[in-house]
Amino acid sequence: MEPSLVSDKEKIGVFACHCGRNIAATIDTERVVEEVLKHPAVVHAEHYEYMCSDPGQELIETAIREKRLTGVIVAACSPSLHEVTFRETVKRADLNIYKCEIANIREQDSWVHENKEKATEKAVKLTKSAIEKIIRNEALSPIKVGLHKKALVIGGGVAGIRAALDIADAGFPVVLIEKTATVGGHMAQLAETFPTLDCASCILTPLMSAVAHHPNIELHTLSEIENVEGYVGNFHVRIKKHPRYVEPDKCNLCNECENVCPVAVPSEFDEGLSLRKAVFIPFPQAVPSSYLIDANACLGMSPLICGKCAEPEVCGPQAVNFDDQEKIIEDDFGAIVVATGYELYNPTNLGEYGADVYPDVITSLQFERLLSPSGPTGGIPRRPSDEKIPKRIAFIHCAGSRDERHQPYCSHICCTYSAKHALLFKELVPDAEIHSFYIDIRAVGKNYEDFIRRVQEETGIHYTRGKVSRIYEQDGKVKVLGVDTLLDERIELEVDMVVLALPMVPFQGVKDLAGKMRIQIDGNNFLQELHPKLHPVESATSGIFLAGAAQSPKDIQDTVSQAGACASKALGILTQEKISHIPTVANVDEENCSSCRFCISVCPYRAIKTIDDKAHVEEVLCEGCGICVSACPSGVIDLRNHTDKQVGFMIKALAGEI
Amino acid sequence: MQTSNKVLPSQRVKASRGKIHIIKERCKQCNLCISFCPKQVLRRSDDINEKGYHIPEAIEEPEKDKICMACGFCEVVCPDFAIWIEERIDK
Repeated sequence: MEPSLVSDKEKIGVFACHCGRNIAATIDTERVVEEVLKHPAVVHAEHYEYMCSDPGQELIETAIREKRLTGVIVAACSPSLHEVTFRETVKRADLNIYKCEIANIREQDSWVHENKEKATEKAVKLTKSAIEKIIRNEALSPIKVGLHKKALVIGGGVAGIRAALDIADAGFPVVLIEKTATVGGHMAQLAETFPTLDCASCILTPLMSAVAHHPNIELHTLSEIENVEGYVGNFHVRIKKHPRYVEPDKCNLCNECENVCPVAVPSEFDEGLSLRKAVFIPFPQAVPSSYLIDANACLGMSPLICGKCAEPEVCGPQAVNFDDQEKIIEDDFGAIVVATGYELYNPTNLGEYGADVYPDVITSLQFERLLSPSGPTGGIPRRPSDEKIPKRIAFIHCAGSRDERHQPYCSHICCTYSAKHALLFKELVPDAEIHSFYIDIRAVGKNYEDFIRRVQEETGIHYTRGKVSRIYEQDGKVKVLGVDTLLDERIELEVDMVVLALPMVPFQGVKDLAGKMRIQIDGNNFLQELHPKLHPVESATSGIFLAGAAQSPKDIQDTVSQAGACASKALGILTQEKISHIPTVANVDEENCSSCRFCISVCPYRAIKTIDDKAHVEEVLCEGCGICVSACPSGVIDLRNHTDKQVGFMIKALAGEI
Repeated sequence: MQTSNKVLPSQRVKASRGKIHIIKERCKQCNLCISFCPKQVLRRSDDINEKGYHIPEAIEEPEKDKICMACGFCEVVCPDFAIWIEERIDK
């Protein structure tokens, strides 16, 4: 055997995978084995059909034990798929997991090439390059740090409520923060929920109450995230809590304050269909169960101008407190669940539908309020202009969804809720005539298709495939102009009311929050999961999980499932005694650091600070991305097991020089 | 996003509205009522009293939302008790 390049102590084993025909069809794995065996450090090489299968892993384990291998190369698929699998394999054979490397000969080779000869040549080079890296790899152990066994849940909609309850039920303290004055979110506004038509309040309000009374849950409403620092297990969070101006413990919900308040503004809970006062409670079942003052609507607090609600003869318990101040709450958390939810796309962007001009062109959430027994019309659908019960009604699907000019994506729930609206409306107004304009009916979910069919049978709904071009009001009627794309005909329809199924968009301020929390957002501003299939609730920042419509438009079923998944992931962290972190982090040769601070400005994880004017990497924050390594003008930062020297040798191997 | 054009007629609450009365001779044009009115319904008028001061007046055709809500703050700030509000309930 030729003398070794590094040291004769290195004994490397190479395991080439066929991946069925995925790799073997384009790469001659037998030749790869032959070629790599010529490398002085390689003492063992073999190929197998499915290396990730149990017999495949057994081959690796046996070879490590029998040949006393010091390193393992698996020439197979992308490390993002099975690096963890094979590292577990070598661990079972008592080899350090950082002495296992993957040569990606599938995604980077067999899948992208056709010429077998050249692909095989490339596979040999890729494998040799991995060999050059592994013989210079250090055996490392994960970094271990302590953690705070407390979770933060951001957003008090059904997703946040479910996640908070699941974590709290497991015995861990949870802080739940909500931007508005009550938990409940959009679900609290709904009448009945598809496909089973459970009344939303009946299934949600008990959960809201459970949140309020759970000994492990600390609830902060009117609160926002100010700042998040730290890393998984040790997030340090500053929460800004806006003043409520009414003390919840004292307020006895007598509503005297509301009666004397001179200011009336559109109610958010009723989606502008009714008015509320400046001192108000969002809805009677709100949690916390207390009035509050909307500082923007109130005539003035500093100086106090009106103050009628605070008069002793009005507020008996003296709950109104105009001196209430903004508070900053600081706390430490082990894991964070982000469930910030959605809002409806602004209908004024759809000028051709005139929702901002015509009172009887309403949004789907407004229609929910009209159908809700707790709504402004007591559950009798009346149109806003004259409160007559509409007889002819039109639902416009995709009013802004699947539309390049507005939101390109499908909002996922509109087809089914519009059908639900039709059904509920028909029950209340038996002689109603219902029209629905759709592009495609997308009722994807358990029993949704049956539900749509039921609605078609029971309501006699007229489904028209086509887009509506214009809506306007004339002589107390709403005119709908459009086209039927199945009959290829122009349509002109006269109805009493139109309901727009607007796109679900992430809540305003999502970009700001994502920036503070180092979460990525996708092209449509939804929070980005780590992997659509394998890590659907994890964000790219370890320890932060995503639930509900903040991640993508989804129905209550999926939202609750995702919230449960987030809780389980968070508990996976909180139940540990120590947190493990990858040891392949950046390492500064502090003596030669020139203190230029360039690395600090490029680090996306804020992992570098200066100590005594020298760059210092906070190892638990570092994700090993390597940006600082390439940015350092003095070249004094190295990434463990990915050093410049290693990269140099890997390039040489790829160039065929070794 | 909340606009008032969708408020159902029956939901339009009765709110208190004020009629502004000014005791002309007492005014010394300190402008406190004009500066502190939260709804900005007052302005300086061209009318002068016998001491030569411009007295305030209510804006006759107020902009939307700039209507007197009878909060009575002008009464409180007027150092000369020269302004008072008559409260009435309006639709």
